[in-house]
Amino acid sequence: MIQVRDLTKHYSHHGRRVAALDLVSLRIDAGSIFGIIGRSGAGKSTLIRCLNLLERPDSGEVRIGDDALTAYSERQLQQRRQRIGMVFQHFNLLRSRTVAANVRFPLELAGELDAAQMDARVDELLALVGLQDHQHKRPAQLSGGQKQRVGIARALANRPDVLLCDEATSALDPETTDSILTLLADINRQLRLTIVLITHDMRVIRQLCDEVAVLDHGRVVEQGRVIDVLLQPQHAVTQSLLAETGFGQGALQGQWRERISTPVLKLTFVGEPALQPVLDKVGRETGLRVNLLAGTLSEIKATPFGQLLAGVVASDVAVSALPDIFAREGVRCEVL
Amino acid sequence: MTDFDWNLLLSVDWPEIGAATLDTLTMLGVSLLATVALGLPLGVLLYVTAPGQLRARPRLYAVLSFLVNVLRSLPFVILLIVLIPLTLLLVGTSIGVAGAIVPLVVGAVPFFGRLVENVLREVDRGVIEASQAMGARLPQIVFKVLLPEALPGLIGAVTVTAVALVGYTAMSGVIGGGGLGDLAVRYGYQRFQTEVMVVTVALLLVLVQLLQSAGDRLVRRCRFD
Repeated sequence: MIQVRDLTKHYSHHGRRVAALDLVSLRIDAGSIFGIIGRSGAGKSTLIRCLNLLERPDSGEVRIGDDALTAYSERQLQQRRQRIGMVFQHFNLLRSRTVAANVRFPLELAGELDAAQMDARVDELLALVGLQDHQHKRPAQLSGGQKQRVGIARALANRPDVLLCDEATSALDPETTDSILTLLADINRQLRLTIVLITHDMRVIRQLCDEVAVLDHGRVVEQGRVIDVLLQPQHAVTQSLLAETGFGQGALQGQWRERISTPVLKLTFVGEPALQPVLDKVGRETGLRVNLLAGTLSEIKATPFGQLLAGVVASDVAVSALPDIFAREGVRCEVL
Repeated sequence: MTDFDWNLLLSVDWPEIGAATLDTLTMLGVSLLATVALGLPLGVLLYVTAPGQLRARPRLYAVLSFLVNVLRSLPFVILLIVLIPLTLLLVGTSIGVAGAIVPLVVGAVPFFGRLVENVLREVDRGVIEASQAMGARLPQIVFKVLLPEALPGLIGAVTVTAVALVGYTAMSGVIGGGGLGDLAVRYGYQRFQTEVMVVTVALLLVLVQLLQSAGDRLVRRCRFD
């Protein structure tokens, strides 16, 4: 488990003190995938660099498992960092080394294995990320997705317990992004590895993460299970980040909202109910007639969900009774 | 020089030219080796102690940087003369090939060190950050990241320094340093034997061309793409 307590970091910018992090606290469960999202300048990059102390916070505490990293000396940190993997937006591979030698690099730094053991470990890692056939190439000969696979293999070399991803897919096209996200999900499952990632892309959070924290001006403004935060976003920043990815109900802010005279329901289906004809069933039982106005049907990390806005005309029951009726079917219903 | 009599080339003392060429090559080789041996650590030191760098020591950097600038701003001809006492102390003579090597090295080390510093600054910050994130210690960063990643640039810096040293060796003729420059001054300038001047200049030109193309070829061979 990773625990971050009251992390604060200031920069001086043209003689003024600017808070990059302002009392940030997080708890990240071992084995989970934790996403930190925010706009550029929100402090994400500083926050992830404070987790392995590449940047020293002004105050606050970072613990990984039982290790209080903020109390460590530089030497102890260097030791501990060998088991904290990090993956970067621009890959940061050594241009002078081949793919295999890049993956071997952290093993050489640690100096715990002999040459034959290192070679065996490198083969293992290249197989894990699917790059066996490219091991003699140099980074300049690889595509972006392949470079990031090398970056991931390198980060895993010393069997870390935590993997930090710094905008790992932001320099990649959408298709490559999907394949890297799939790889990270596999690694998380296979190796029971805790992954902490920062991103400005809500799709990354939706596809990969279990939990999410939303960062704005150096503060955590919202935090929770991804499914809860995405379906019931509380903070304006979260809502606008969601709206940009075509998520959320920005559609209903439009002027045509006034022209709908019937009550409007917001229906949220998560998991099994999303696979059942719930709306049809309730309609038949209660004589409810529905006019679908907007909606999203998709999945969040393999959990199907749906969120619909519907204008309704109820004949047999009062609109106020609908939330309970839907709740019996496992669907959350709000009357807007 | 339109009425230059090419037959004069026959009268040139070729064995002496050969000996002078050998002297120049000796001075160049020894001083280049010493310059790289001293200048590379100096360049690394300048790089890591600069403000905002891996082991920022602003005071030390300011002092080193000042010394480098002082040595670089002295014209080499003056350095040759100023250094005579030091040369006597170190090699026992201030003339000849041995006497020329000390001022050559003192003149070239700050030049090369500054080039190395600039080459190292071109190494991607992200790669250095990545190696820090993997727990690399400073010596590991220097030997496994900085120097290998900067290798093409470093070879370029050695080439530029070698060419500059050819020029310096020619100047060391002024203090009787030996070599082609010495020959050109003694015969070409003081005894008006233009043909000797022409031959030495041609040889220096060929030497510089050879150095430059060898350097370029090496850089091309170890580029990383």
